[in-house]
Amino acid sequence: MFEPKIVAFFCNWCTYTAADLAGVSRMKYSPNVRIIRVMCSGRIDPELIVKAFEKGADGVIIGGCHPGDCHYQNGNHKTLRRYKLLKGLVEQFDIEWERLRLEWISASEGEKVQRVSNEFTEQIRVLGPIQMKGGRVVHG
Amino acid sequence: MGEIIELKGKGVPKVGVYICHCGFNIASKVRVDEVVDFAATLPNVVVARSNKYTCSDPGQEVIRKDIKEMGLDRVVVASCTPLLHEHTFRKTVETGGLNPFLFHMVNIREDVSWVTDDGDRATEKAKALVAAGVRRVLYQKPLEKRRAAIKSDVLIIGGGIGGITAALDIADSGKKVTLVEREPTIGGVMAKFDKTFPTLDCAACILTPKMTAVASHPNIKLLTFSEVKDVSGYIGDFRASIVKKPRRVIESKCTGCGECANVCPVYMPNAFDENLGMRKATYKPFAQAVPNVHTIEKTGTSPCTYTCPAGINAHGYVALASAGKYDEAFNLILESTPLVATLGRACYAPCEEECTRGELEGTVRIRRLKRFIADRYYENHPEPEYGPPDKELDKKVAIVGSGPAGLTAAYFLRKMGYQVTIFEKEPRPGGMLRVGIPEYRLPNDVLDRDIKNVLALGVGIQTYTEVKSLDDLRKKGFDAIFLATGTHGVRKMDIEGENLSGVVNCMEFLTSINYGKKTDLTGKTILVVGGGNAALDSARAALRLGARKVTIQYRRSRAEMPAFPEEIDAAEKEGITISYLTTPVKFEGEGGKLKYVQSVQMQLGEPDDTGRRKPIPIPGSESIANIDMAIIAIGLMPTTSPWAEQLNLNRDGTIQVDPETLQTSLPHVFAGGDVVLGPSIIVNAIGQGRRAAHYIDKYLKGEDLKATTFVFRSADMVSKHDVLTRSIITHAMSLPKKELPVDERITNFKEVEIALTEEEALKDTKRCLNCSVCSDCHLCKTICSAEAIDYGMKEEVIDVEAGVIIVTTGFKPFDPKRISAYGYGRFPNVYTSLEVERLVNSSGPTQGEVILRDGRKPERIGIIHCVGSRDKEYNQYCSKVCCMYSLKLAHLLKERTGADIYNFYIDMRTPGKGYEEFYHKLLEEGVHFVRGRVGEVTDWAVTAKEEGKLIIRVEDTLLGMVRRIPVDMVVLSVALEPQKDADDVRRLLNLSCSSEGFFLERHPKLAPVATFTDGIYIAGACQGPKDIPETVAQASAAAAQALSLVDRGYVELEPNTAYINSELCSGCHVCIAICPYGAITYNSEKKVAESNEVLCKGCGSCVAACPSGAIDQHLFENEQIINELEGVLSYV
Repeated sequence: MFEPKIVAFFCNWCTYTAADLAGVSRMKYSPNVRIIRVMCSGRIDPELIVKAFEKGADGVIIGGCHPGDCHYQNGNHKTLRRYKLLKGLVEQFDIEWERLRLEWISASEGEKVQRVSNEFTEQIRVLGPIQMKGGRVVHG
Repeated sequence: MGEIIELKGKGVPKVGVYICHCGFNIASKVRVDEVVDFAATLPNVVVARSNKYTCSDPGQEVIRKDIKEMGLDRVVVASCTPLLHEHTFRKTVETGGLNPFLFHMVNIREDVSWVTDDGDRATEKAKALVAAGVRRVLYQKPLEKRRAAIKSDVLIIGGGIGGITAALDIADSGKKVTLVEREPTIGGVMAKFDKTFPTLDCAACILTPKMTAVASHPNIKLLTFSEVKDVSGYIGDFRASIVKKPRRVIESKCTGCGECANVCPVYMPNAFDENLGMRKATYKPFAQAVPNVHTIEKTGTSPCTYTCPAGINAHGYVALASAGKYDEAFNLILESTPLVATLGRACYAPCEEECTRGELEGTVRIRRLKRFIADRYYENHPEPEYGPPDKELDKKVAIVGSGPAGLTAAYFLRKMGYQVTIFEKEPRPGGMLRVGIPEYRLPNDVLDRDIKNVLALGVGIQTYTEVKSLDDLRKKGFDAIFLATGTHGVRKMDIEGENLSGVVNCMEFLTSINYGKKTDLTGKTILVVGGGNAALDSARAALRLGARKVTIQYRRSRAEMPAFPEEIDAAEKEGITISYLTTPVKFEGEGGKLKYVQSVQMQLGEPDDTGRRKPIPIPGSESIANIDMAIIAIGLMPTTSPWAEQLNLNRDGTIQVDPETLQTSLPHVFAGGDVVLGPSIIVNAIGQGRRAAHYIDKYLKGEDLKATTFVFRSADMVSKHDVLTRSIITHAMSLPKKELPVDERITNFKEVEIALTEEEALKDTKRCLNCSVCSDCHLCKTICSAEAIDYGMKEEVIDVEAGVIIVTTGFKPFDPKRISAYGYGRFPNVYTSLEVERLVNSSGPTQGEVILRDGRKPERIGIIHCVGSRDKEYNQYCSKVCCMYSLKLAHLLKERTGADIYNFYIDMRTPGKGYEEFYHKLLEEGVHFVRGRVGEVTDWAVTAKEEGKLIIRVEDTLLGMVRRIPVDMVVLSVALEPQKDADDVRRLLNLSCSSEGFFLERHPKLAPVATFTDGIYIAGACQGPKDIPETVAQASAAAAQALSLVDRGYVELEPNTAYINSELCSGCHVCIAICPYGAITYNSEKKVAESNEVLCKGCGSCVAACPSGAIDQHLFENEQIINELEGVLSYV
């Protein structure tokens, strides 16, 4: 079975805390998802997403606070705007935009971390490995 | 496995990796030794070790020793979440001699072992994360923590026992506290309790001294009836905007004497007594309220008052009448119009159409109440008891026309002191009221008495005087003129025979009758043409003059008829025939005298300009009838032609005015009433008269008329839906019509409508729902000797700065209506626990006597536990306090009533000091305990014993059988739920909520009163259900934490700020717009952006936005994240 590599950029205040809650509540989810903590989803530079795909990720999740709940007032609004552009951008690299997912997960939604991780892993599994024209540059 | 990294100028960094077992927490899934072996193979790693508990002292010591002995440059610990122990290990590294930011923490517990089933995959994931951590840490740089000052003031939100405790603790230490409470008093839910468990201390006795201590504490600023609307800033420097709602009582002046509440005529369900008793619109929630001041509750403008075009305070006079204060009610109406009794009879009462009672069993009879008030007043006061105004002004105003608009304008202008003269062309004043409305609707002497209200002020009146020239008035020295001549012309039909004797217009006809010229029409056949009120009045008057047969012909159908339905009904009842879709086409006579009418049938065609369907004659439908008299009433119009040259007129003859100021094309001439509006209703004319007086005054004072607008109403109309859902409504029959029987009235001009008796009037006033609560009757203002009442009080915004915030916003009780099987709201004798708290309270609605809603005293009482708790349908959690408060209520109810008491419980939960003992005491008192969740409360009796009782149906799980237990009273021990607006508060303060909606603490064990937002603490039931001692303990804990921060005076901040590489910056300004804190500014000299570290909060949004890659974020540099990415992706 294809085991996709999934990178999850989670904001410190909501989604990372939700992942902690999922852990404390012993909610099992796909180990394919690997979390990188940032302070705010608004920090996620488009470059980081492109790099993730370039370095071998089969899917990327961005997790932020619900709209209106951002710890930094409106960082997640910036994320949302960037996300819409990013979907077009990854398509230009022949990467299906479905491989990039944005989720608003609050600190109390441990269950949502579990659900999204499992769902997304399945979805990427169905999509299979990334087929890029001219192959993917893989850095060791 | 990658190459060894060498840092420019710093050599090859040496990394130590420490993998934690965390007992079995990690080790049970992750094969720690394997990860250690793997870590040891990673480039730059010089040592990799595992430890049972890395966070323990020996565990930390190992790291410190390695740093010293092996010269480590970087440290990675793979254990639990950094949110738990990052600080711990940074300290370890620092005390080991390394900069604490050359450390990275990898989470292999919450992110790996606890969430992964498969040991192989968990180990694999742990390896990847460790590899990522090692790569990342190589690029981390030494950093210094920043310090920010902490303001010493503390803001506490919520004035229950939690907020009170925290406020006193902090204030006693000498720090300043602002305590915000949205209710008019502090005390919270505890203030409602009679006793507290398990000691049965009197709640008020232990709470109220603390409340008064808050009020008198020099370090506490108490803001009641206030809500925090906005919070900005961060730990150490919060800024809150607090909205102080208008209490309408000036706190500093109010002495709490309660005279205002005594006189207030408006009764409302008392929310403090859980709506079991009543309070006034002017109220203090309970005797020991803090602050000891009253509050006037006003939610907007009542629909009746809001609707009145004359701006008469209908709600106000109904409320005053309900208290028997009829003279005051009369004077309140007189504030808006002198024509009190006239309106009480002839007004078409738009107020009644809007009355919220109309949504129930029928509107309050507001107009008839006004008549009652006026008649009663005039009976006792045949003459007005006032004279000319105190202040005389020398400017003169001419009022042309003495109808409702003219009289009202004259009244108000004269009250202001102007010299007012009314010019009336008719012999007697009153305009259309005099000549147009027959006496059976408005007796002449009633109108005369109303007009005295105007004349008593010293208004001059010249009758028989028709004003033809406006210039003449000007020459006579009038500084302003108000034209209110109404619509006394009647449109002609323009048909053959209209000039025959016997064809008259309705105004001539009605005028002559009202002047006493009662033509005898005995035995005559009368035809009235038209469908307006004038047509109906003419027909009904003709009938009273003895006519044998009166027919109204109207060319459209009833639906289009402009007359008021009540008039049409009355006319039909009196025997008048109305022929719809019929109109005369020709009158025929003999010797110049009317003899026949030829009429034609109509049908309705397409709608015309007015939106009404146009009548079209049906060819061949003509018919001829014998008649003696025809009264033409097809439309009234103004007679303004004499002024056509000086004023701009509309096509229909009405005068063009500015609709706001009523000023005509001549600046000193104003016009209003029907002469502007066309035929309308009396209250519209009165409204125009008031408006004209307002603007004529401004004009005469030389003020800018456009500077302000004229509004009667001070606030928006309340929502009827809100009123109907808020009030506990007792239904009462609405008053039937009361009129003279038809045969007693059609032979004379006696008033048709019979006046209300006092008893009837009082009964109807009690049906008023008091939509806006305060009725603006202004009684309290007249009684308050402290001059503390201020109706115009506005919302006030108070800005508060604070270093720390404590949130103690409490809970809301579960609404048991959601469980319909328990019958709350259906069966009056089903109570919530909080209602019973009030019922047994000596200062409650029954002074502590347990009297049921149906007046009985209970002999058997059932207390149902866990209502809304421990139930997946509602709340899964246990509300923790219900078992104990149920026991307390059982004890109190038994003590007060001697009743047999049954507790229905699922499990008894009584942990706590003295709690279990209390349970045993209750068992010994003979209270019954039945284990089982109650299925249903019903009044469906199946045995004689159950008759008239409420039957609790329950499966007794100890007996293993279903039981039916009849009781008189059911008490529902309701759950504690998050406040309705907890989510708004959460957003306001950037907190998190648990899934049930209570505020989330930073750590359930180790940081129970801290939150994820630094500087904000939570205490009490807003964090989860808890009892008073626990709330008080948490509040003191929060106070201690707040003080510890405030006392230190500064806070260390993460050095994760953004920084700008000025060499790469192109000065494009993108980051400046992105930063929510204004931390980035543009240096126009260097043409680059510059970041202010003090203002930067470290979100990193600007880093992501910078198109030149000139910005990076300490601790989260792109290079560090990319290396972490590579680690995550490229190993394993």
